[in-house]
Amino acid sequence: MTTTDLEVAGSFSAGAARAAWDAAPERLRRAAEAIGTLRARGIHLAPVRHHSPACAVAVGAAIEELRPSAVLIEGPEEYTALIPALLHEETRPPVAVLSLGDSGSGFYPLARFSPEWVALRAGHAAGAELAFVDRPWGERGAGEREQGEPGPGERGEDGQTTLMSERYLAHSETIAAVARRLGCRDHDEVWDHLFEARTAGELSDWRVVFDDVLAWAALARLDYEEAVLAADGSLDREARMSARVAEHVERLAGSGPVLVVTGAFHTLALVEALSGAPEGAVVRDRWPAEGYGEVASAEAWLVRYDHERLDGLRGYGAGMPTPGYYERLFAAHEADLAHGAGTAAGDGGVGAGPGVGVGVGAGVGRLSRRPSPDGPTRRQSTDLAGGGGLAGAAGTAGAAGASRLAVEVLVDVARAAADRGHAVSLPQVSAGAEQAVRLADLRGRPFPGRTDVLDAITSSFLQDDGGVGVDRPLGLAVAEVFGGRALGEVPPGSASPPLVRDARERVRQVRLTVDDSVPRTTRLDARRTPAHRARREVLALLDFVGSGFGRQVSGPDHVAGRGLGLLLEEWEYAWTPLVEARLVELSHLGATLDAVALARLRAAEARLAEVASGTAGANGPGAGGSPGGGPAAASGGPAAQAPQAVDGAATLMAQALVMGLGDHLPRLAALLRSSLDVDRDLASVVGGGQRLLHLWRARTELGAEAHAGSLLDLVGQSLATAAYLVPDVGRARPEDEDTAVATVVALRTLVREAARARPGAAGASRAAAAPGVAASRELARLREDAATAPSVRGALVALGSVDGEVTDDVLVARVRGALQAGADPSLAARFLGGVLRAAPDLLLHTPELFDAVDEALRRLAPEAFLAVLPDLRRAFTWLRPTETHRLAQRVAASTGVRAHEVDVRVDLTEQDLAAGLVLERELAAVLARDGLARWSGAER
Amino acid sequence: MTTQTTTAPAAELRPSAEVRYADELATLARWDADRGAELPPGWLLSPRAVRAFIVGDEALGVSRKFYGDDPLVDRAVVSLLGRQGLMLVGEPGTAKSMLSELLAAAVSGTSNLTVQGTAGTTEDHLRYSWNYALLVAEGPSERSLVPSAIYSGMRDGKVVRFEEITRCAPEIQDTLVSILSEKQLMVPELGSETRVAARPGFNVIATANLKDRGVHEMSAALKRRFSFETVAPVRDRDFEIELVERQLTAELGPVGQRPPLSRDVLEVLVTVFQDLRVGTTREGAPVKRPETVMSTAEAVNVAVAASLEARYLGDGVVTAAEVARQVAGVALKGDEEDARRLRHYVDNVVRERARSDSRWKDFFTAAEPLWR
Repeated sequence: MTTTDLEVAGSFSAGAARAAWDAAPERLRRAAEAIGTLRARGIHLAPVRHHSPACAVAVGAAIEELRPSAVLIEGPEEYTALIPALLHEETRPPVAVLSLGDSGSGFYPLARFSPEWVALRAGHAAGAELAFVDRPWGERGAGEREQGEPGPGERGEDGQTTLMSERYLAHSETIAAVARRLGCRDHDEVWDHLFEARTAGELSDWRVVFDDVLAWAALARLDYEEAVLAADGSLDREARMSARVAEHVERLAGSGPVLVVTGAFHTLALVEALSGAPEGAVVRDRWPAEGYGEVASAEAWLVRYDHERLDGLRGYGAGMPTPGYYERLFAAHEADLAHGAGTAAGDGGVGAGPGVGVGVGAGVGRLSRRPSPDGPTRRQSTDLAGGGGLAGAAGTAGAAGASRLAVEVLVDVARAAADRGHAVSLPQVSAGAEQAVRLADLRGRPFPGRTDVLDAITSSFLQDDGGVGVDRPLGLAVAEVFGGRALGEVPPGSASPPLVRDARERVRQVRLTVDDSVPRTTRLDARRTPAHRARREVLALLDFVGSGFGRQVSGPDHVAGRGLGLLLEEWEYAWTPLVEARLVELSHLGATLDAVALARLRAAEARLAEVASGTAGANGPGAGGSPGGGPAAASGGPAAQAPQAVDGAATLMAQALVMGLGDHLPRLAALLRSSLDVDRDLASVVGGGQRLLHLWRARTELGAEAHAGSLLDLVGQSLATAAYLVPDVGRARPEDEDTAVATVVALRTLVREAARARPGAAGASRAAAAPGVAASRELARLREDAATAPSVRGALVALGSVDGEVTDDVLVARVRGALQAGADPSLAARFLGGVLRAAPDLLLHTPELFDAVDEALRRLAPEAFLAVLPDLRRAFTWLRPTETHRLAQRVAASTGVRAHEVDVRVDLTEQDLAAGLVLERELAAVLARDGLARWSGAER
Repeated sequence: MTTQTTTAPAAELRPSAEVRYADELATLARWDADRGAELPPGWLLSPRAVRAFIVGDEALGVSRKFYGDDPLVDRAVVSLLGRQGLMLVGEPGTAKSMLSELLAAAVSGTSNLTVQGTAGTTEDHLRYSWNYALLVAEGPSERSLVPSAIYSGMRDGKVVRFEEITRCAPEIQDTLVSILSEKQLMVPELGSETRVAARPGFNVIATANLKDRGVHEMSAALKRRFSFETVAPVRDRDFEIELVERQLTAELGPVGQRPPLSRDVLEVLVTVFQDLRVGTTREGAPVKRPETVMSTAEAVNVAVAASLEARYLGDGVVTAAEVARQVAGVALKGDEEDARRLRHYVDNVVRERARSDSRWKDFFTAAEPLWR
């Protein structure tokens, strides 16, 4: 990083760039000359940033002016075969070309505002020959795709790569230094500042734009060693591209210029290779003596894509964040150009400063803003200190559309925020628009750019200190508007994508039949047979992505938490055409089953995170099926702040393990940890803890041995949170007491089971048991607290007695106390209900307790007895039939009647059971036939 | 978070920003003049120069005075250009006041037009009051009128600072509503037509704390007249340790005069505060955030109290045990819900750390019986 670099980088505002070349490193200056020479030879290099509207406008302008005979685009050359599909009138971006290789899949996405897309469409309109010229995907070795520390998000965790990686730019030290110098937060804002902040008119001056983009990227390129570029395959790709360009130029000699659209990072190498410069030797030396021969052919598919996965901020590594915003910006540029063309281009002049006559809606009419004397003319200065001088060589067309864009975006964000409950008033929108224009002015931009608008939102739409917040209504609104929601279209009849093939292959690998659509059943013993485990994973995977391939009929369902004691699983499956159709629909989510499942998992995570932050509606997390199941899952705790977030996260972990996606457990564990912080529902926390403990126990059949320690740690953390939440259940309202008692019982079970799980568990944290201690302590505290809800207290006393923490004397004294003469009969009945719910057999094993209860019931006044009778009746149902029988004998003995007079005993035979089961199955089948399988609980 | 590069004249304990940084302000003014930069009406510097004054500019030799959030500075500068006032909100100890002082010094050349909001602030402090001797002698006149900071700011076109606005009673706060929207102040005592009209350059920078107990709500009408900017708490642990240490010295004197507080113990203190403030430990374990604001200012209070305890009740050396006892008393203000949260923290995090670290063991041993 030299001072010279900095000055050059900082000062290449459009006009100043040329002068700045003089200060540039020698190598860049020679490249600049070479570009001129190449242009004279009819080779026009268009360096672009992928998905940059600015570059897209420039490419469009270049094609219009040059009318090239060929447009050559960076992209695996086998994609040339897909050009007709790409040009098909029903193809709507965002779309992507998908390649499959041994080491994963690669997407080549195209948005409406991608320079490559514009190159295709405009080139076709101009009658140019179109071709992709990059190295075939299949020839790019695994090492090539993994070398050189991929940038964050550039390589998806699902093994998917993007073919338009720009990690070099994100990681370049030079660009980082420029960012610091210009007061920009990151390289994206540097780019915005230097390029996206140009008016459509300026962008139409494509030679200047391309020169500047080249300088920007070349400076970054100089940061990298040749060895790095060789190792990651950049040089091989550049060799291929330059050779193909040379071929086309030779073939088309005399028929017109050739335009080469590539990522700017490669352009320097192409210039040097094609112009014969000495630095180009490293690339030229890679040309094979006999040439590259025929254009490679390999399978590739055109698939739908969406903004969500195009968004750099949401994990896609190529290129620009906030596709929704840039699509609008591109549309604004197009409108400006169309307008400029209609009214004699060039009448704008310098006078068309920022935000002239912006008047959208009544309240924002005030926005019209003086063209600042501090405006374009001064911005041409190369003076950096004030925050960068930018742009404005000769503003030809105005930037009315681009200026209006800020207001439109502000209005839309305001509306989206209002939909989510964050009202934004018209004066706030107006103030925001004003703020955006002033920020642009302060930062030296002709119209408000992305960060200016975002900052204006932060300034004007908030009236508290919470920040925009990614999970607050305003943050979600910003994400919606800036992220965009577009989903592309591909023409009907496009070749079916590889997801189908992948799924078929996976199913075959585990030796399930896919050759016909006859339903079959398979029984699996995942604990003892690894092959069965693999089979279960594939079945679960296909089930989770919603292919309709198979469903579990019986056996342990780790996700729903049913049948956990069972060993054998039974699945029904059938490979029907519907399954294939469904997979085709899903193929925009990924090229492999794992990728699609992961996309779904992530969506469920996002929903859960939204729920956890309390912004979603009343709906549950819906994470691949409601947790359902045990009594603890009933919702409606005292504070339903983040309903079931912990249990939901634990369910997702179970889901991932069942599908064999254990690699993603750490991320899900982090989600669970953050849910622990917000979930105020003890039932959910305990339920989640139980689920985790179960996963730990089932670690063998789930193939989760590696995660055993962290699962136990999470159990420990759930227990710690549970300990914190215990006081809440003590304050349960009468109608919630049943749930509260069930939760307390479950918590106590969890504490005991967690303690049992601890010794001998390899890798388990020593802390795992400690929170159990805390939970027990809190339960004991609740037990001693007179204000605790009566049934909870009764349950705790009974549990204490079972655990030996409460002696029989104390137990009896407590029960007597609760039931003594003068006690409110309904409170007494609830207390007794709690005791019976938690430990029904105490009544049989502790004669003093029996006497106490008996005595209290006898003493009740007839009206009071009638009033609490329903509660009592229910309380006694917790006894098992044999226990009821024994209790009846006791009652008979103490009252002097014969047992059969007080005991009604229903004897069930095995035949009764069998008949009942048959009936239930028939009913389930009928319901399933009518599409009501949910009623019988057969479908998760 | 000031970096006081310019040494101040000894006369004042703490000279205001425009005195301390007079050289830099002059440099920036020259820079504006050389560029021919347009100054907003009533401003002494261009917006870019104001920005450079606060975030620094190496080339001009201007030091950086505010760390961490440059876009926030941009937004603040731009907000002052508009009709809206600027409201800096955030927890105590986040350098809100310093930012407002720097902005006022750079924009208007003075940071002394300041209203210090308290529960006792009256309307007179915001509008004007009278020199009663003169009032009785001469009747109401320009001479007997005592202008408030806001009055002066409007008259002279300067930026006025309003510190701790939420400490004032709502009806007093609301005096600002009409001043900010009409940009004029009526003085009926001097005749029904007499008024002070705000000259260009007038604006208000208010600082407020929205989460503290005992502060007043702001009316919606008042909120509408401000752009809100949140100043985030200090995230950097070493920086916060340094801040606490500096404040401790300011309160109890330099090391040697106060009980020694080792860096290890300070680290425990700051870590506890950061864990509880953020809601997760650095290792990623979730903790419950107390209602009480775990600000740097509170961390200083704990350090002071722990030092005093060590001096008068202990053996003169501050250990993590004193810190543990004081965190409960000083920071949690006896809120039962918060005590539960802290218990959760001790159970979940401190217990684990105590196993391998003697400082945390001290903390744990002292905290456990206390917070049962």
